[in-house]
Amino acid sequence: MKLLPSLLVAGSLWLTVTLAPAATVTVFAAASLTDSLKDLAATYEQQSGDQIVFNFAASGVLSRQIEAGAPADLIFFADEAHADGLEQKGLLLSGSRQDVLGNSLVIITPPDHAAMTSPAELTNAVCQHVALGDVKSVPCGTYAKTYFTQQGLWPAMAPKVIPFDNVRAVLAAVETGNVDAGVVYATDALISKKVKVAYAIAVTDGPKINYPLALLKDAPEPAAARKFASFLESSAAAGGFKKYGFLTPSAPAVP
Amino acid sequence: MNHDLLTATFRKQFPGGPAIAVDQLRLGSGITVLFGASGSGKTTVLRCLAGLERPEAGRIQAGGETWFDGATNLFLPARRRRVGFVPQDYALFPHLSVARNVGYGLHELTTGERSRQVAETLEWLGLTGLEDRLPRALSGGQQQRVALARAVVGRPQLLLLDEPFAALDTPTRLRLRGELRHWLRHTGIPTLLVTHDRFEALALGDEVVILHEGRNVQQGPVPAVFSQPFNLAVAEITAVETVQRGRLLEVRDGLATIAVGNARLTALARDLPADASEVHVCIRAEDVILTGADAVQSSARNHLSASVQTITRAGPLALVQVDCGFPLMALLTQVACDEMGLHPGHPLVAIVKAPKIHLIPADNAKDRD
Amino acid sequence: MSHAQWQLVGFSLRMALLSLVVVLPPGLAVAWWLAKFNGRGKTILETLVTLPLVLPPVVTGLVLLELFGRHGPIGGWLHRTLGMDVVFTWRAVVLALASMSLPLLVRAARTAFEEVDAKYEQLARTLGAGEWRVFFTITLPLARRGILAGILLAFARSLGEFGATIMVAGNIPGQTTTLPLAIYQAVQADDDGLAWTLAGVSAVIAFAAVLASERLSRRRS
Repeated sequence: MKLLPSLLVAGSLWLTVTLAPAATVTVFAAASLTDSLKDLAATYEQQSGDQIVFNFAASGVLSRQIEAGAPADLIFFADEAHADGLEQKGLLLSGSRQDVLGNSLVIITPPDHAAMTSPAELTNAVCQHVALGDVKSVPCGTYAKTYFTQQGLWPAMAPKVIPFDNVRAVLAAVETGNVDAGVVYATDALISKKVKVAYAIAVTDGPKINYPLALLKDAPEPAAARKFASFLESSAAAGGFKKYGFLTPSAPAVP
Repeated sequence: MNHDLLTATFRKQFPGGPAIAVDQLRLGSGITVLFGASGSGKTTVLRCLAGLERPEAGRIQAGGETWFDGATNLFLPARRRRVGFVPQDYALFPHLSVARNVGYGLHELTTGERSRQVAETLEWLGLTGLEDRLPRALSGGQQQRVALARAVVGRPQLLLLDEPFAALDTPTRLRLRGELRHWLRHTGIPTLLVTHDRFEALALGDEVVILHEGRNVQQGPVPAVFSQPFNLAVAEITAVETVQRGRLLEVRDGLATIAVGNARLTALARDLPADASEVHVCIRAEDVILTGADAVQSSARNHLSASVQTITRAGPLALVQVDCGFPLMALLTQVACDEMGLHPGHPLVAIVKAPKIHLIPADNAKDRD
Repeated sequence: MSHAQWQLVGFSLRMALLSLVVVLPPGLAVAWWLAKFNGRGKTILETLVTLPLVLPPVVTGLVLLELFGRHGPIGGWLHRTLGMDVVFTWRAVVLALASMSLPLLVRAARTAFEEVDAKYEQLARTLGAGEWRVFFTITLPLARRGILAGILLAFARSLGEFGATIMVAGNIPGQTTTLPLAIYQAVQADDDGLAWTLAGVSAVIAFAAVLASERLSRRRS
């Protein structure tokens, strides 16, 4: 019977597909987490056999996409506000939310610029363009505005601001030298060799930066998502984040 | 006519088109007609003289200026030649008024001077009152006159007209023919006028240049060229209706006797070469008279018994083909045709005067190559 | 709509008009050359001019950013010799709009020039007109319908331009924010009401411009 071999092949394929233990976890994460998360996910994928898929963008964009029904298992945002927004709309799985990481802000400039002794130097005439994340939707931009407002510098700075869609775009703008300065997370500045940290804003001076991690109520893969979330909250992962300069509960300040 | 106002010898080949090879075309003051069949290259010759096409080799000289010299690679483009050009469809600028069209070439004059010259030319051509009209609001005849005005207002050295009546209907054509001749003579500008209509050539031209397959094969006063075609090609182009091959029997006292078919013809010997034996006999239909079969004495040397074969009527005329030993065409009025009661088979006599028979020695073959 | 929003519309219109002024001379020149000549570089020029039409606008924006950035060949020169910045200023907006609308203008103008019967230009030459005079008194007037249609199309395209603009000019409120950028910003900031209002204004202007363009193109035949 020639039919038998074909049936056997088809049957084994079907079994492989349906009994495969590997799940695909979709994570909507803030742009500043790009390198660290990809690194950790690679390790996790090898250990667990699951696949992790990322959508990196500014937290504001991500929350809009989720509100519009984009399928995601986990969110990992760079500020509380956007996570609050989703929580109020009942889209988060209650009790799953955790603050996992912290960060601090730095003012970066192209490498050939002089170092700054104070952020007020940004208001000088010689500084014409300052790149920030869009203050209305990008957490890094919102944090920066809060900081500058606190310092009383915002009115002088506002006309110089060039808004960008996410923190990595800010980083890129400073790298090309088309702007005089920018504000990004300390972790982003560490990634790039083409910018210089002109002024590090002390964690205590700046606004509190929190990275909440949460499961979505309608997650397609809730079990696998919970497993990955636990991994991210573990001390093993914390070590990975620390390597990139993030502040973890065990290492709340940059050395 | 003084023939030194323009001398042109040039070659131009369009890929896949006719080859123009003009040799010693010479124009003088007065109106020269460039006559040829369609496709013989007449428009190309005009365009080469106007400077719109560049010949491949040769020389064109006008009024002491060299317009083109293949040897030294000199080529004066159209805008540097003082030439008036009137193409077949006039090419009046559709977006400009009559006054602006006519004044277009006078842009170097002051506004006042320009208006004056334009007004003067318009008046001379009977176009006063049409200054502000657009070309599309003009009749065919008016458009022709505006095109002419535009071409002559700048006092060009040479005027080129391409089939000036092609775009007009027949009644307008006939009416304007005389007027055009009057205007052209009045300007005094040497004119080269292209036509394929024999009657236009006769009406308008002082001289005619026959163009055959891109070559100028005969040039001379219009009546002379038409009545004495140089070779078969010219005979064909000038639409000689009867061309027959005959054998030269005798030449005596300036008269030649030729046997054509079953008939004998007497013609003037003119400049027949001494050793000519075969000739082509050319007789224009309008030079043939048909009379009744009763013998009558007349001064004509040729009375040929004939019978009617076909009658072709066209307007007031009738072209009658008779057999007099060879096919002979006669041009009659329809009235005459009816009065004589002509019908196929009708016996009559065809009369042709000796000077009206033109002989082409049979060595002057169609192609001179 | 608030005063600020009307100002935004005004800014967009001004930028679109300015970009038209910038793009007309080179656009007409290129269109004329493509219509009249068959030189060796013709296909390359045609392709280059068509590129902004088929490439993702952000790619055009990226190329402009590279060229006109402070460290780019042109931008660097401008910054050093004239102290002038292009990127992230209104100049970059004009540049982006002009680059994106150039292909449309060239295509329409080229067709318009090609449809001008050569016999008129030739006759003008027999009347002593040099090439510039022929172009301005014969070719251009006879082609004006098609060119105007192209200008309107280019204008409409400019008003809707986003990808290249945001790359090379950024979205700086009051300085480089055009209508499309403002709509995007409103969407990002969760202000749907504003987004739809501005979108409506955009649509009305674009519709009017394209309608006029179509009417001009059609009546020609």
